[in-house]
Amino acid sequence: MSYHGRRRHHRDDYERRETYETPDQKLKKNIIHYGEVDPVQELPRLADQIAEHTPANISIITEAFRIGVTEQPYKIPFYAALLRLLHDRSLPEAPPGSTSIGRQVLEDYWKGFQGFVDRQAWRESRLCVHFFAHLTVARVISVQSMYELLQSFTRVLEELNLSHGRASKAALCAAEGLMIAGPAIKEDPSLSVSDILTALQGYIDSTRQERTLVQPLVQLFTDTPVLEHAEEWLDCAVAALQTLNGSDFAQTADSYPQPYLSSPPWTEEPFHLPGVLVPPEAMDLEGLQTESGEDAQPQKEEWPQCYVRLFDKDLSPDPTTPAGFAIRSALIDIIDIFEVNRKECARLLLEYPKWTVPGTFKPRPGAPAQDPVPEKDWQLEITILETILGASFVLPEATFKAIYYIALITELCKSSPQTVGPAVGKSIRKLYALLSDGLDVEVAHRFAEWFAVHMSNFGFQWVWKEWVPDLVLVPQHPKRAFMRRAVEFEIRLSYHDRIMRILPEAMREGDAGVISVEAPGPDYEYDEPTNQYHESAQSVLNLIRGRAKPDDVMAHLESLRNTLMETTENVDTVLRSITVQSLLHIGSRSFSHFLNAIERYLPLLRNLAAGHISTSGNANPEARTDIMSAVATFWRHSRHMILIVFDKLMQYQIVDPTDVVAWTFTHCSKVTDGKPKSTFNAFQWDLLKAALDKANGRVMMQRRKVAVLRKEADEKAAKAIAGESATMEVDAEARPDVIPAGESPQLTSAIKAFTMLTREQKSALARTLEGFVEYLAVDSVSPKVLEVTTEHAWHNRANWEDEDWETWETWCWYRHWCRMYSPYLRSYKETIGAVAFDKVPTTTNPAIELFRKTWSITTGQHDL
Amino acid sequence: MAHIVASLDQPSNYKDSQSRIDRQTQAEILARSTTLYVGNLSFYTTEEQIYELFSKCTTPEDGGGIKRIIMGLDRNTRTPCGFCFVEYYTHAEALACLRYISGTKLDERIIRCDLDVGYKDGRQFGRGKSGGQVRDEHRQDYDPGRGGWGAQAQRMEAERRREVEERYQDAQNVPGAVAGGGGDWKAEHSQTTTTLKRGRSPEEEPEGGRGEPRARVDEPDHDANRM
Repeated sequence: MSYHGRRRHHRDDYERRETYETPDQKLKKNIIHYGEVDPVQELPRLADQIAEHTPANISIITEAFRIGVTEQPYKIPFYAALLRLLHDRSLPEAPPGSTSIGRQVLEDYWKGFQGFVDRQAWRESRLCVHFFAHLTVARVISVQSMYELLQSFTRVLEELNLSHGRASKAALCAAEGLMIAGPAIKEDPSLSVSDILTALQGYIDSTRQERTLVQPLVQLFTDTPVLEHAEEWLDCAVAALQTLNGSDFAQTADSYPQPYLSSPPWTEEPFHLPGVLVPPEAMDLEGLQTESGEDAQPQKEEWPQCYVRLFDKDLSPDPTTPAGFAIRSALIDIIDIFEVNRKECARLLLEYPKWTVPGTFKPRPGAPAQDPVPEKDWQLEITILETILGASFVLPEATFKAIYYIALITELCKSSPQTVGPAVGKSIRKLYALLSDGLDVEVAHRFAEWFAVHMSNFGFQWVWKEWVPDLVLVPQHPKRAFMRRAVEFEIRLSYHDRIMRILPEAMREGDAGVISVEAPGPDYEYDEPTNQYHESAQSVLNLIRGRAKPDDVMAHLESLRNTLMETTENVDTVLRSITVQSLLHIGSRSFSHFLNAIERYLPLLRNLAAGHISTSGNANPEARTDIMSAVATFWRHSRHMILIVFDKLMQYQIVDPTDVVAWTFTHCSKVTDGKPKSTFNAFQWDLLKAALDKANGRVMMQRRKVAVLRKEADEKAAKAIAGESATMEVDAEARPDVIPAGESPQLTSAIKAFTMLTREQKSALARTLEGFVEYLAVDSVSPKVLEVTTEHAWHNRANWEDEDWETWETWCWYRHWCRMYSPYLRSYKETIGAVAFDKVPTTTNPAIELFRKTWSITTGQHDL
Repeated sequence: MAHIVASLDQPSNYKDSQSRIDRQTQAEILARSTTLYVGNLSFYTTEEQIYELFSKCTTPEDGGGIKRIIMGLDRNTRTPCGFCFVEYYTHAEALACLRYISGTKLDERIIRCDLDVGYKDGRQFGRGKSGGQVRDEHRQDYDPGRGGWGAQAQRMEAERRREVEERYQDAQNVPGAVAGGGGDWKAEHSQTTTTLKRGRSPEEEPEGGRGEPRARVDEPDHDANRM
């Protein structure tokens, strides 16, 4: 690009500052990048370099180890080997018999570990435990003290009111440490491996009920689903440990590299890890409560983590085996740690085999052949894909946004299209097959999203033809719903014609139910001159098109109302529809045009939402329902636009989240499907989620505002006290007026707003529960509601009709709503549950029991 | 995590070349910016397509969402000229786009995202001599997504998709012509509880005011410094 002289004065912005690396920084860098060419070859050279480095600087070495271990977990065994070797070296010019470098670093490293534990940096703590465990096998750390360290983590599992997030993280520290250090621990008869196993198993057993709600495959008829395609992470860990224990941890060597074993055994006194106390859970000190005293701060990570399993154990390792668990765990750590840079993450995932025991993965095409190791020789790309998809499908929520996992797979495909591409295809086919076997609706939703975004990055090339035979399935079958949804998402990212072109002939037909024949455009109800309100609508449309003042439009609508009143029964509904559809019509060119149209006529819309035209007033639910129905009618061919418009209607406070929730249950299907239904589908879920997230987000933001204002007020008060006492030496207690002065008018109104917003939040959640009660748990529900939850019906699902699938889906969305919003539902269980469950009949049948049970698991009331 | 690899959400060297603000001030604005500059769009990409992709980085449960999208237009023809601004409600959402969206495809083109100091009236128009972006004036290659050959050919191809080309004919270059997208929740709009009109609290901003850094920044040329 050309460089223009006139811009020279900005040159400093782009000048690279010369960076000088000090010898210390260089050493640190070398330790961090250790092993990237060949860890075994580099080992003695790096140890020498560290030993010869002057002036000696233990803390810089320790820091490098700490970064290396916690940010590059795949290198941990090699860092252990390096530290073992440093136990044979002493500092330059140190007198004979003085403490080795390795020992000094280890002592220093320990302090850092303590810091991670104190800060509850769980991943870092766990990775340090790995490091210590390897050093235990290398005999550099005392076996007894390692065992005690593991026990301090299992002790967490005995705490009262233990959150699942905390428990599982502590349990994994213990479990993974034991997997690695097991060979040394098991040798010592005074240490009981089974004590640790029992503690872990005991905790897992206490979470059985929660687990049924977060399985990626749904079996409504049982509490204890035995599922081939789903594995809970702690379960995997315990299963792997039991296998290891059965063979006295002989398989540890097969699962983790142990490069330190090539050093001669360490015979001197090992390092004794000091005792560690895992500090209690951090509490939210802000503790802002709602008006009825509930805690409004939701706690997340309260569910067991279940990963969907797609491939056979000869293609990708079984995570319930020792080697399989080690690999899965390492890959998940890479995915989590390198979230900041998906491109580097993809590279590191593809390079992962070099850090594993030789023979773990099939060699890359073109690499020297090796003898396959029996029961290993897995396919790297398949394993990576299964791990990423498993992580992105964790219920109720993955660690990161879906788009991260999607973008990561895209990067993998770009790095190695020939090998990753086929793995993507195989994964899609496996997931698609699972749709018939109860793949959870939310997982299916994420699958469709991944599919669409992925295809959008790769020219929309998919072999749609292979799904043509499934067009004979009933329209609401999950496979057909998936096709529709995937196509809809693809169109949103692209355009109708483009997607039409890639579909096979059989899918382009209107009655194939895959894609609409026409592009999803707006539909102005009053366009046709034959429409009885055509003239009236035109007059409104012309005013809006001419950018008439809101007042003038109001005046016109008032007079129109008078005219139409004689001939029209529900004149207000008609006027609302005409006005809203006319605004949307003017705004239909683009999202920006829509915003402009809405903003220009906000006063009018707010009046309409209050049931009036030219005067304001209190919220009118019926008027708001009319507004939303008008929107959905206008955009009935484009559900994307309905979502966009509803979001902004809430943003501009024309409707409230509770209005949207109510509309979703009572009016949505009438407008979008043409007939009222008592079932809940993925689109309704999108609407519901948007409304609830809006309500929750407002509370979250207001909470932050209050916190800031409180802090300001406290500081002000503290300053005032300090000022007073400095000038007058008065007893602070004698001046009680100083402290309450902290409540500023801003703070008072912020707290008031917070109260209003939590009320709205509760009302939106309560309305949702009420909606699901109406659909699933009142006397008048369809017999299907009970039928689809039975084992017999499930095994007969090949013969299900649309209504069966729709009802099954409704159950699944209810479950998903419960687990997704459980942090809020737990807080509000008393108020929300009491009202809604009043309508649930006391006579029991299995469906009502299932409904109640789902609620009680969600809200943590195990024995309701 | 900066030890092993660089985070993708660090500000790049994208910068307003005509800006008079110093680097530090700019860095401070970007450190809380909620606006993205999105470049290398096809001229035919719609706001709804942009909305769909960029909504994948929103965190509504945290008070976030897409506030507005401002399509970059050719100053003379009032047609999209390959860039836009996406404004969120939170800074974290803009950062997420740098990590997950920048460098991936939209409408089959690899787009790039950069943190921006914030939209100001008039910035939606390209500043190339022909009215479009400067980069398209220098372009030598054939690019169907950007109207074929360089600046000259663009007008020749303009007939191709009339609907897209006509969409923004009403775009105005006057203050307030671009919608705000809706601001924070306010008690006074919540009719359910309105019993008394109350005055504005001092901390409340006018509609659409939130999240727009009030930087005194000259209009940037979005291409001059992309190399």
